[in-house]
Amino acid sequence: MPHLDAAYRFARWLARSPDDADDLVQEAILRAFRGFDALRGSDVKAWLLTIIRNCHWTALKQEQRRGLVPLPEERDAQDGHALIATAPDPESASIHRDEQRTLESLISALPDDHREVLILREIEDMDYREIAAVTNVPLGTVMSRLARARAALKKQWLRHNDGVPRAVP
Amino acid sequence: MQCPESLRVQAYFDAEVDSVTAADIERHVEHCAECRALLHELEQLRAAMHQELTHLRAPPALSARLSRALDQESGPESSRRFRWPRWRLPLQPFWVGTFSGGFATAVAAILAFVIWAPRLANPLVDDLVGAHLRSLMSSHLIDVVSTDKHTVKPWFAGHTDVSPVVADFEAQGYRLIGGRADYLDHQRAAVVVYQHGPHVINVFSWADSQRALPANATHNGYHLIFWKSGDLEYCAVSDTAPDELLGLVRLLQGLSTGDARDSKN
Repeated sequence: MPHLDAAYRFARWLARSPDDADDLVQEAILRAFRGFDALRGSDVKAWLLTIIRNCHWTALKQEQRRGLVPLPEERDAQDGHALIATAPDPESASIHRDEQRTLESLISALPDDHREVLILREIEDMDYREIAAVTNVPLGTVMSRLARARAALKKQWLRHNDGVPRAVP
Repeated sequence: MQCPESLRVQAYFDAEVDSVTAADIERHVEHCAECRALLHELEQLRAAMHQELTHLRAPPALSARLSRALDQESGPESSRRFRWPRWRLPLQPFWVGTFSGGFATAVAAILAFVIWAPRLANPLVDDLVGAHLRSLMSSHLIDVVSTDKHTVKPWFAGHTDVSPVVADFEAQGYRLIGGRADYLDHQRAAVVVYQHGPHVINVFSWADSQRALPANATHNGYHLIFWKSGDLEYCAVSDTAPDELLGLVRLLQGLSTGDARDSKN
């Protein structure tokens, strides 16, 4: 299924748990399949991620109305490193896990609207126009949010590494 | 105090600017220590995020669940505006070996299916001319702007599936102006961009597909010259005269045999 991984990754950053992400992806893909949200142009990935995002916010609003939204703290305890997939090789696995955990938690701590542009740009490799389409904001807003997200992340990242930026190959 | 150019520098880093603006920003960055530092940080952050966070895949269980859900949805009598392709990825094998290049291959295969399958009739020439024209029309001629092959060539490593011959032939009239990633023949092709007088020459390269290359052609006034070198296939496309295009091709062919020496100079 095309773009399923991208859809899942994006859902994982939006949803509060892996189970929620699964539900979100399923809902979005069924919506896409039923043709509720018409595909404009040919950018299937941006289209699918837009649906993921819409489904997420719709669900969140419904939960809020019902008073079901869990406290943010619940998120970290068991899911903190759930985003980690397989490490490249056993030796560097633990180092990677630490870095992943750090980077993940720093990104998770960003405001929602900043986090999503950063994820779409760096993880999903989308251009500004596509990001603007997915997040439904003007291009200029994408640029400023991206800049703020990166600046905030860099600041936290440096603090985490005792002021010494880790050499990244 | 933040440099007022920082947003433009970011746009340059994200390959969102045209080549003129890019040159402008490169000049600025040379003189602005703050923006140089910014570029460096942006690179570090990207590398860290790429390395640590791009490996997540949809779990096989989810994939199976979706297949079931979609099967239920698609009754034989259903008439849909959109039909999801009803085939399944072999998720299990590359889930197990997630880290191998297998994933890239799988993605390429998926994209290939989605994008290329509908037009099977000798598409390469059309696609090359199309890609050439798009590059000239959409301000997306160049992803990495540089006249330095040591900047252009490494850039391809992270952005395309191949590492083509890159060299500057300014002395011979073919100036290297940058590189670009493009999607061609089921893979992320590398495009080296040269300027020859007022003409832009796109040199596409992609992995050998084990089938015969199309003959050199002229299509809508654009000339295409194909050749193979090593395990790569190349095509130079331009509206410059065929002889002049051939001149660049000869220079590149001369180089590719000695590509190993490339790193020395």
